[in-house]
Amino acid sequence: MTDATYTGSGSRTWRRLRRNPMVTIALGVLILIALAAIFAPWLTSFDPYETALRQRLKPPSAEHLLGTDSQGRDLLTRLLYGARTTLLIGCAGTAFGALLGGAIGLCAAFYRRLDGVFMRVIDVFLSFPSILFGLSLAAILGPGLDSLIIAVGLSVMPGIARISRGAALSVMAQDYMDSGRSIGLPDRSLLGRYLLANAYPPILTYTTLAFGDAVLLAATLGFLGLGLQPPTAELGSIAAEGRSFLFIAPHVSTAASILIFVIVLSFNLLGDALRDAGDRRAS
Amino acid sequence: MSLSRTSSLARLAGGVALAAITAAGAAQAEGTVTIGRTSDADRYDPQRSSALAAAEVLYMMGDTLVTLSHDLKTVEPALAESWELSDDGLTYTFHLRKDVTYCDGKAFTAKDVVGSMERWLTPEGPYVSAWKAGTVDSITAPDDYTVVYKLKSPSSGLLYQMAQFNFIIIDPEQAASLGDDFGVKAFNGTGAYCFDSWTPNDSLVLKKHEGYAWGTAALGNTGPAKVDEVVWKIIPEEATLVASLQAGEIDGTYALPAWAFAQFEADPGFKLIQPVASFRTHYVGMKVTRPFMQDIKVREAVSHAIDQGAIADAIFFGTVKPAEAYYSEDALDFDPSTDLAPFAYDPDKTKALLEEEGFTMGSDGFWQKDGEKLALTYYGFNTSREQAEAIQGDLRKAGIDLNVELYDSTAIWAKLREQTYDLYQMDYPYLNAGDALNLYFSSDSIPSPNRMMWDDAETDKLLAEGNSAVNDEARAKAFMALGKHLHESILWKPLLLEKPTVAIGPRLKEFQPAGISGAAFGTGLNLELN
Repeated sequence: MTDATYTGSGSRTWRRLRRNPMVTIALGVLILIALAAIFAPWLTSFDPYETALRQRLKPPSAEHLLGTDSQGRDLLTRLLYGARTTLLIGCAGTAFGALLGGAIGLCAAFYRRLDGVFMRVIDVFLSFPSILFGLSLAAILGPGLDSLIIAVGLSVMPGIARISRGAALSVMAQDYMDSGRSIGLPDRSLLGRYLLANAYPPILTYTTLAFGDAVLLAATLGFLGLGLQPPTAELGSIAAEGRSFLFIAPHVSTAASILIFVIVLSFNLLGDALRDAGDRRAS
Repeated sequence: MSLSRTSSLARLAGGVALAAITAAGAAQAEGTVTIGRTSDADRYDPQRSSALAAAEVLYMMGDTLVTLSHDLKTVEPALAESWELSDDGLTYTFHLRKDVTYCDGKAFTAKDVVGSMERWLTPEGPYVSAWKAGTVDSITAPDDYTVVYKLKSPSSGLLYQMAQFNFIIIDPEQAASLGDDFGVKAFNGTGAYCFDSWTPNDSLVLKKHEGYAWGTAALGNTGPAKVDEVVWKIIPEEATLVASLQAGEIDGTYALPAWAFAQFEADPGFKLIQPVASFRTHYVGMKVTRPFMQDIKVREAVSHAIDQGAIADAIFFGTVKPAEAYYSEDALDFDPSTDLAPFAYDPDKTKALLEEEGFTMGSDGFWQKDGEKLALTYYGFNTSREQAEAIQGDLRKAGIDLNVELYDSTAIWAKLREQTYDLYQMDYPYLNAGDALNLYFSSDSIPSPNRMMWDDAETDKLLAEGNSAVNDEARAKAFMALGKHLHESILWKPLLLEKPTVAIGPRLKEFQPAGISGAAFGTGLNLELN
């Protein structure tokens, strides 16, 4: 039955994943960063918002492990709180994009009449580079956490919609879908229990990959000044504020950029591994 | 993918080029001075621009009728040798020099002054800042060397305004024949240098005006220029600008980033020089119609909580001075007896004042009154993020919650017309107290630029008195009284006083930078190579 097929391939995928050391490393790094971000208030004794202008741009020392930023705040503390914000925007944005994109893709495959309209709209979305698209959206919606999440979500949505439609179309060609329809199963059950349950692995893989892009986009928007208003810490805006002082205090931009790099790289490695593991041709 | 590869390659190439400049040291042609700056103007037409980038080049290519002394307090002759003002303060008569010629050899006459002014004051034209000319009734030329400038109402600040670059006399015939290309393809002026060529966003080349001899004696060299060529070069990246100065690719710049000052100060090959007087004040304005800000004690409390000294020292690396007055204490018509105590940094006073006004400290660390938290909204430019964060940090320490909203320069002007904020941050240039007072505080200027919503009969009365004064004493008396009154009313928190700093390299002799409009290289008559 369908359930058995899917469980079988799932466990094989999992076995392959576990054999890949990259996955362990990437996942470990991500969990570590996520935990550090979540428990930031307990990990540091510094107030992320307490400014001390005359202590600004100090290099790393015993008191401030990563030095201080341009307002004299502890940089490590700012990075922990910044990772919180950036990951939140990335997570919520991707989730929003995946829900919307997944729904559009599945519906386009299931209701063939909608396919043309939906996919042309998606094509329009895809014709914009995601950075440009995110930038314009963030500019239109104005500053704020929710508008950033929407901007990031809408930027990752078109790719997910395309992938979902592709995956769903191949499921739609299966005999069991026709059988389901002929015995009069309602659309809701066909869509949820059969189409989604069988089409989701590639969607999940793509979403993991998109997560890296979403974090990067969130950081880019922050870097370009379309992020959150001060004093909120956000990795992209920390990197941007340090840019003016690259010559005299390189630690600010460097530390923030390395953290963004590590997060995005880990997501990409994870996504790649997931894709390879799920690739039937490679078995 | 290919895009990102190209851009990183380009960056690499840029780095290599930079290293090459630093290593080789760019040789410049003899007699040429190269000035570096970060941005270009869209055109070089004094009547169609309000940009510093246009002003600084136009001052080299053209002259005004009058100019100002280095301290900006005395009106000095330029194209006009002398002038008289009628007793009613309405008619100025200018007597022009007879030895002036344009770059193309044409003689300069009163018709050119009338033509220039007529073009600028065309009501439907694309021309800017015409308010500086006052309420003009007529401008006529009874003979070739006399100009009669009639006003409908007296304007005590007119002669000072006339030193601004918008009043540079153009060649009206050339302006008419070139149309939109005027100041783009050519500019025929009477200045110490002549327009040679312009490659937008790259460089603008000026050649010495042979035979120029009508410079203002009080400002130094009267002409001709001591260098053959001036090149204004655009270097958009601050770090590259710094490297270019170090390498000798440019001889001077006023656009150094604050962090680079210390290294040039320490290097004996370079000098940092400043004008005697040049005024730009950064301030935080307070909207007196907002719930908390209606109370002058709360305004004073906010003022005492902000440490402008730390902002000057840290964010500007000590290159600007902390300010305690709305305009410079060195500006014409500033009253030295003005009480500036409310503008000093003193967080203890903030506490005392708020307690006096019935505020209590809440458990969240912020003051509150009648159950309402002392939370204020602040609008600022996204280019002044560091200042905004510092102010937010200071107020937070003093128990005042500041919601900061930053906008870019295209969006902020509309936002500033709204009534949804308590504080806003801005900086502005001015010539003297009268200029500053006229710009901001009149009830006619509500809601912008009088964003404080300061609607006060006393202010309007003193402003009118100062503007219609027909002699220096009467003007000074009115403006000094007004300045005092406005400082007592606590409408702004002054932050910083900024003067342009010019960094010059080893080829250039030290000179006295100019102060008007922030165009520090002035007419360029004082530029001289070693």
